[in-house]
Amino acid sequence: METAERMGMVWCPDWPVLARRRAEPTLVGVPVAVLAHGVIAAASAEARAEDVRPGIRRREAEARCSGLVLVDGDPPAEARAFEAVARAVEAFTPRVELDRPGRLGFPTRGPSRYFGGDDALGAAVAAAVAELGIPEVRVGIADGALAAWLAARRAAPGAAFVVAPGESPAFLAPWPVTVLGDHTLADLLGRLGLRTLGAFAELPAPAVLARFATPGAVAHHRAQGRDDTPLDLAVPPPDLVETCEFDPPVARVDAAAFAAKTLADRLLSQLADRGLACTRVMVEAETEHGERLARCWRHEGALTPATLAERVRWQLEAWLLAGDGKPVDDDLADADMVTGGLTRLWLRPEGVVPADGRQLGFWGGDQAAADRAARALARVQGMLGHEAVVTPVIQGGRTPAERVRWVPWGDVLEPARDPSAAWPGSLPDPAPARVFEPPVPAELLDATGTPVRVSGRGECGAPPATLRSAELPNGGGPVVGWAGPWTHDVRWWDADSRRRGAHWQVVLDGGVACLVVLESGRAGLEALYD
Amino acid sequence: MALAALPHPPGTRRDDPRRDLPSRDAGARELLRVAGERGRPLVLARERALALPGPLAEILPEGLQRGTVVTVDGVPGSGTATLGLQLAAAATAAGEWAAAVDPHGTLGGLAAHQQGVALERLAVIRDVSAQRWPTVVAALLEGMTLVLTAVPVHARHGDARRLAARARERGAVLVAMGDWPAEAALRLYAERSEWTGLGAGHGLLSDRATDVRVERRGTATRVRLAS
Repeated sequence: METAERMGMVWCPDWPVLARRRAEPTLVGVPVAVLAHGVIAAASAEARAEDVRPGIRRREAEARCSGLVLVDGDPPAEARAFEAVARAVEAFTPRVELDRPGRLGFPTRGPSRYFGGDDALGAAVAAAVAELGIPEVRVGIADGALAAWLAARRAAPGAAFVVAPGESPAFLAPWPVTVLGDHTLADLLGRLGLRTLGAFAELPAPAVLARFATPGAVAHHRAQGRDDTPLDLAVPPPDLVETCEFDPPVARVDAAAFAAKTLADRLLSQLADRGLACTRVMVEAETEHGERLARCWRHEGALTPATLAERVRWQLEAWLLAGDGKPVDDDLADADMVTGGLTRLWLRPEGVVPADGRQLGFWGGDQAAADRAARALARVQGMLGHEAVVTPVIQGGRTPAERVRWVPWGDVLEPARDPSAAWPGSLPDPAPARVFEPPVPAELLDATGTPVRVSGRGECGAPPATLRSAELPNGGGPVVGWAGPWTHDVRWWDADSRRRGAHWQVVLDGGVACLVVLESGRAGLEALYD
Repeated sequence: MALAALPHPPGTRRDDPRRDLPSRDAGARELLRVAGERGRPLVLARERALALPGPLAEILPEGLQRGTVVTVDGVPGSGTATLGLQLAAAATAAGEWAAAVDPHGTLGGLAAHQQGVALERLAVIRDVSAQRWPTVVAALLEGMTLVLTAVPVHARHGDARRLAARARERGAVLVAMGDWPAEAALRLYAERSEWTGLGAGHGLLSDRATDVRVERRGTATRVRLAS
């Protein structure tokens, strides 16, 4: 049996919380949890003491721990903050592979000989990272990435745990199958009575391949303590390096990330033409002052264009933005930071595996049409900027403008507020086809020509008789039908985002229907039922 | 040689099957019909059309012809934006992609959803200046099946013709909202809308009826659309 490469793994548990605390010192010492998609993604030790753990819903977390501070996850900022850890580990070995913010791996064969053994290397790495103000860091060294990561989980905070060479299968055996990271597979194995990695690893490999296909075979391979990715590693052809040059040099992340997206697409489609998928990619850049930067990113499965572009974007943010999120300034830059804009960017596949194919959608999924559309939209984004091409996503809210989130093309289509929640006082259907954000100035007048007012109790003195606005045909006209005022007072507990006002639906003579809003004494045309 | 160069007299052309085959030979006619069937273009014009959902299907039963320009015009509030969204819904319902060029950022995403547009296949392009408008629309026509665009006020005839040619070449539908300065296969004018459900101080907006004038080349009809 081939032995897995000896790997070290640096793990900062609950990195999203740590990264947030490094940015906002006021959060130190209070229970903090980071949300992603409405569930807890990471929780601080104080919150965990109150039984707040990843995977539970927001409301349940709030119920379990009073005084819990919930913050939204920000993966780019987390990746940016993790760059400091990557630099610290780089002092020991140049071959650092970022796995995700909070976790990185490195091969230990060379460095542990230099530093006097795995124990000494692990302790030195842990001490170097802890010195950055991260005492929670844990280091694990074992054969293969999975065992190394589990060793890091076994380690005490600020220390290292070493699994002796050849001991990895025995070390892995008692762990539950859920650590493989594949929930569907773990669930199925659990129901088959195979609850530990050891039980799973004892199955004959051909039977696993026959029953669970390639993903199962890879998981079986990992459970046996052999290296996690490559069942049969193909060495990448050397010409598969995607490069792009920037002239003039770019210092803005979005400009560089946009180019990176194209590079990622090109690289992966080139690999796909050869029947390969990429598991590890080297991101390299050169600045106008001749500095060379390089960082390796790995992925458990195979990288898709979106995940690769996301990782390249994180890396570019880490390079181009100083720790506080401001663009690099020549005076502020220290020795580790880049001192100028980027002139070149490379993407080089470091690890590739045979692609096991992709099943196209059975219904309505015309991949060719989607690819064509994606190319056209990327081109328009190149002309107008990332934010100029957007896709609407329906979300929760009260007004037509609130109920739509405009997501830039290429970002994750995800509502910011739950659309299925109850939104009392939301405006009734049908939705207006033209929405003005912010509302355009208008005049809502009563029969005597004075502006319509609404009292604090939501009562309207005189019914509206005339509506005037520059956006209306002929500048407006007499009101023939109306409903309202519907008063709202939202977020009254927060002085900055509080909104208080009244809405009317109004139909003008001539059949023009519109939505009028009155806020702080000023009327505005909020939408047109065009 | 001289004889061969002469044209055949009318009605005696060699390639005319009616001359070569006796008219009673039904078997040969059947063979010819099958051959003609085989040589037929694989995609007929009507198969290239996008079927329209909802009330528009009644007035345009043949659907939206690909490769053509459709204009939608009318005063604000008369129902032009809704008509445009219904046309976009035709494209996304067929699994195709649609883009909307919306320079002022006023398109209602919720209304698009309610008109049946599959939002995950709709891209909205904002902040388009009048100078870049032709380039942006041309780039979109390369990849999208339907491009819904507001026409800038002083759009040039030449630009419009070039965009129409691009749409024809790519088999895309260009829906121009506003004053389109070139030819169009279909012109829709929303003349006025009538709302029901809202009274003086009571009720809610519920139903609308829109008077639409439909102009094809050479013909014009007026219909009332309920939605």
